[in-house]
Amino acid sequence: MHTQMEWKETSVRKSQALSAVASLARNLGLTLYALFALFPLVWMVICSLKTDAEMYNTVFRFTPTLSNYNAVLLGTDYFNAFFQNLIVAGGAVVLTIVAGVPAAYALARYDFKKKEDLAFQILSFKFAPEILVILPIFTIFQKIGLYDTYFGLIWVYQLITMPLVIWVVRGYFEEISVEIEQAAQLDGYKWFDVFFKILVPLIKPGLVASALLAFIFAWNSFTFPLVLSGFKIQTMTITSLRYIASDTVHYGQVAVAALVAVSPEILACLFIQKHLVRGLSFGAVKG
Amino acid sequence: MKAGFKFCVVFLMALMVFAVIAGFGAAPVEAADFNWKKYEGTTVKVLFVQHSIVDAIVSKLADFEALTGIKVEYSITPEANYFDKVATSLSSRSGDPDLFMSGAYQLWDYSSAGFVENIDNFLGDSAKVVPDYDAADIVKSAVDALKWDGVPGHAVGKGPQLGLPLAFEIYSLAYNKRAFEKAGVAAPKTYDELLKVCDALKEWNGPGSYAIAIRGARDWGTIHPGYMSTYANFGAVDFKAENGKLVSQVNSPESVKMNEFWVELIKRGGSPSWSRYTWYEAGADLGAGKAAMLFDADNNGVQQNWPNASQEAGNIAWTVMPLAKAGDTPYSNYWTWAMAMNSASKNKDAAWYFLMYFTSKPFALYASVDKNSVDPARTSVWQSEGFAKKMAQQEGYIDTFNKTIDSTTILFTPQPYFFETTTEWAATLQDIVAGQYKSVKEGLDALKAKMDEALKDVDL
Repeated sequence: MHTQMEWKETSVRKSQALSAVASLARNLGLTLYALFALFPLVWMVICSLKTDAEMYNTVFRFTPTLSNYNAVLLGTDYFNAFFQNLIVAGGAVVLTIVAGVPAAYALARYDFKKKEDLAFQILSFKFAPEILVILPIFTIFQKIGLYDTYFGLIWVYQLITMPLVIWVVRGYFEEISVEIEQAAQLDGYKWFDVFFKILVPLIKPGLVASALLAFIFAWNSFTFPLVLSGFKIQTMTITSLRYIASDTVHYGQVAVAALVAVSPEILACLFIQKHLVRGLSFGAVKG
Repeated sequence: MKAGFKFCVVFLMALMVFAVIAGFGAAPVEAADFNWKKYEGTTVKVLFVQHSIVDAIVSKLADFEALTGIKVEYSITPEANYFDKVATSLSSRSGDPDLFMSGAYQLWDYSSAGFVENIDNFLGDSAKVVPDYDAADIVKSAVDALKWDGVPGHAVGKGPQLGLPLAFEIYSLAYNKRAFEKAGVAAPKTYDELLKVCDALKEWNGPGSYAIAIRGARDWGTIHPGYMSTYANFGAVDFKAENGKLVSQVNSPESVKMNEFWVELIKRGGSPSWSRYTWYEAGADLGAGKAAMLFDADNNGVQQNWPNASQEAGNIAWTVMPLAKAGDTPYSNYWTWAMAMNSASKNKDAAWYFLMYFTSKPFALYASVDKNSVDPARTSVWQSEGFAKKMAQQEGYIDTFNKTIDSTTILFTPQPYFFETTTEWAATLQDIVAGQYKSVKEGLDALKAKMDEALKDVDL
């Protein structure tokens, strides 16, 4: 009996030790992965603090300078491009949510002719490479006065953002039992209240996740703003490459531009991380 | 009374001095009998690539607008994507933009499609040209490089003026004086000397350093700088007209000899990563003290040699590219950044004013002396004291230019598939260096077949 207890204690101790080692290994592995994943960002920060003369040193010893920040943030109109990008990408996502969520609801709840064809048509906007469709869009925009306007870009960005939001949110609406809506209506809620007070909170994780992804795609869009704007509006994706000129390149300034460019995406991801993880995994485990 | 007279004289003299000083800074081209305000109120749209000449233009836009009353709207795009934007804009035929920057090779494409206005329509009309414009002062070979009659196979230099040069580049050998002193070698003048110097400069600055930086990426940019210049200096040509067709000559004996030399140069002195080298990597390696020489555009090395621009700033010097024997004529290929006019533009006369202003002598001097645009397209700037002073630190730069410019021209045969054939050329060169062919000749035979196939539809 005594021996059995001793054996149990030894076994528990062993399993605790194993568990501690496993936990340590896991944490070490995750730390290494975090270092690996964050290294490009760290490298960008280091480059942004180096002068051109020290740029190609591979050792970590250098004299830090803010001259690259000064050149990009104060010496050029980079902030202007940043805000223009914010208006265009933010505007595109807002329009997508306003139009896309009701569209997703309709595709999920109502039966109408050619419903699946329509849904596929929306998805197909993502199929064609942008460079293939840009010439006719350019010509149409020139004719109807949308070339180089905020609205023009917000509109054309719907090709990027709308299919994503509609298809993700449609899946969420389909998962919600129709009885919930009926019960709310029995309790005296009008359809409008049912939609905003019952359904929207239920689809929130999916909506936030897809809206964030849509924002990232819109924020990083290159071909549309390259061709469809440039004189009055120039988004950051185009402007940030300006520091790579035909005759010379200032990698320190490129690093500053890149850091500023990724900052909204990093901040947005950090703030809505909870929704993002839940939103992307929620639908997958539902049966 | 006497005091009053003195005051008047001093006042008038001060006024004159002020007027002269103000005149230097204000408008590059002023003539009493030329009406700069003729197109006041017009808006001109211009597409720029990101380049140091554009920094100079943008800084003078306010002066141009004040002088002419013409409003300028512009867009600056990085070169990697610039020509996609230009091609899309021109092909829409909307007239937007009125002006665009371009290289000569791209103008062959655009002019074949009818997108480019003949600048002779303006240059040839004395009523439209400000009297002191002095078109003859623009570097002749640069002007000629932008003339082409549109017939595939016909050399540049004849036909419509497709644009006016803002800046250009010729090809020469830039080298690190410190590296040469360390290795105890002199700047090579011949191909044999170049190969020997390459051997002497192996790992001259520690592990990873090497002798010569040249471009090797799988695109047309690899072929047009040092490679094409050396190709011509070996007596090779890219195409010949035979029976109404353009026939590739890349497997000619001269070409085989040149390519054998080039492959040996890469193997004996080039970077181990040569096959991914573009303008940027090649120039950066010279500045970082990795490469001891750079065989590329003359101004590529300058960007590394401005004070504090790189680790080796101040150590870089220039010499004429190596040739078969010292004293031979150095034939250099050409790249020009030109300003061209959209043939669909609705504001051609106002656009011409812009073009005239920003290709004028005073502006070229300002762009090169006050700003950092090197290789100015005006002879008067090359001969000016201001430019000589500005480039004093760039040892041998102006001298090399003077020795090369008269034999500089576009060495390619103009034809509509320029980018396809030169990109294929670069790919084959990579494959030859990688040993995918039994011999250089075998690789060039395969390339010739591909080039002839690409041009089979082109009738002369």
